[in-house]
Amino acid sequence: MLQKYVYPLLIFFPVLLLQTTLVPFASISGVVPDLILILLVYYTLFYGQIYGTVMGFIFGFLFDIITGSLLGSAMLSKTISGFIAGYFSSESKMGIYFKSYAFSLIVLLCAVIDSVVYTFFSSIELNTSIVQVFFSQGILPGLYTAVVSVLVVFFHPKRSFD
Amino acid sequence: MIRLFQKLWEDFKEYFILVILLVISLVLISFNQNPGVRKVRAVAFGTFAAISSIVSDLINTAGLKNENEELRMTNAELMLQVNRLREYGILNEELKRLLEIKDTANFPLAPASIVSKALNRSQSVVIINAGSEQGIRPGMPVINDKGIIGIINSVSGDYSIVRTLKNMDLKLTVKDERSRVDGVMKWNGTDLVIVNVPKTYDIEPGDRIVVSELSSIMSLPLPVGVVKELSKIETGIFNEVKVQPYVDFSRVENVFVIKVVQSRRKNDLELNFFNTR
Repeated sequence: MLQKYVYPLLIFFPVLLLQTTLVPFASISGVVPDLILILLVYYTLFYGQIYGTVMGFIFGFLFDIITGSLLGSAMLSKTISGFIAGYFSSESKMGIYFKSYAFSLIVLLCAVIDSVVYTFFSSIELNTSIVQVFFSQGILPGLYTAVVSVLVVFFHPKRSFD
Repeated sequence: MIRLFQKLWEDFKEYFILVILLVISLVLISFNQNPGVRKVRAVAFGTFAAISSIVSDLINTAGLKNENEELRMTNAELMLQVNRLREYGILNEELKRLLEIKDTANFPLAPASIVSKALNRSQSVVIINAGSEQGIRPGMPVINDKGIIGIINSVSGDYSIVRTLKNMDLKLTVKDERSRVDGVMKWNGTDLVIVNVPKTYDIEPGDRIVVSELSSIMSLPLPVGVVKELSKIETGIFNEVKVQPYVDFSRVENVFVIKVVQSRRKNDLELNFFNTR
């Protein structure tokens, strides 16, 4: 109970602190990795789809209300990302995810969807091409987030799945 | 019937939960301007900003040495510039007196530091450590030594959220300093662009772009950036002018808030971009 529901929320705040203070210094052409999404995918893979959907909703709500973004936009995108990540949740595959770079590929998929949905609902304009949004605002942040998520694979204890 | 619902719930509960949460999110998007939501947000970001200001203070301290060196250099350059401007100032005063024009260029500044940044491709906002207790109000322009950063969007007691130029919700009337051509500038997700500029207008790469006096958000001639390129030249009758901002939004740490808000009459205008969006 504690590990499943309280720890992710406790970890969320320091991660948000990093996201809003240190991470902007690592931006490349305005693109920053989304540490909160990595945290969400990580816990969703352990605890399943419903958990991921609800946790995405809570993370998004906290992010929106604390950072001053459009309330509801990150909620929407993180809820969908948690739901998508939940499809990969499987106890038998946890070893595979964290012993290879499969985790980063899942993060890539979720981050691209997260970025596109976030952009679409927070600021899309009628004359903007969805393909252009997908590449400029989905792929780039998604790739950067996936690259950073390699650190999770790298530092995650491998023995826990043996 | 109940059994049918139970079975449906068992089979599709993931989807039901997803739909319910998505509907709540969509409803909340439409409640963004609600005063209650604004109050909750002010408390939430104010509390969190108090913590993040400690972290950002630590980060800023690490970069102080480099910043000091840069400031010394800027100081020297400014000293030379001030000398020249002082000469112009004296001349200007004399000319104004001759023409009987009133001097209005006196704006109070409030210094502040950025305590956190939420940078993303479409909605970049930063939080600064100055709020309503320092006299900050929504709509005030935020600048640094390079130029304009954005405008105050909402305030709590000690902290304020600044909507930067790299935010699709901020549209600003700007002008070409050389040719005096006006246009509406906005962030399109990848670039700052002045949209729908007729091709016959005299705008060229390298021109300085400043805030236009026609702007309903702020009418001070604050520097914005330089024209990087003109696009969409092949099709249509309009150009899209890409602007390279002077401010590096990912690196900026210390800012000033210009403590002026546009007149009520101007704020009530139907076409005021700050109010309508």
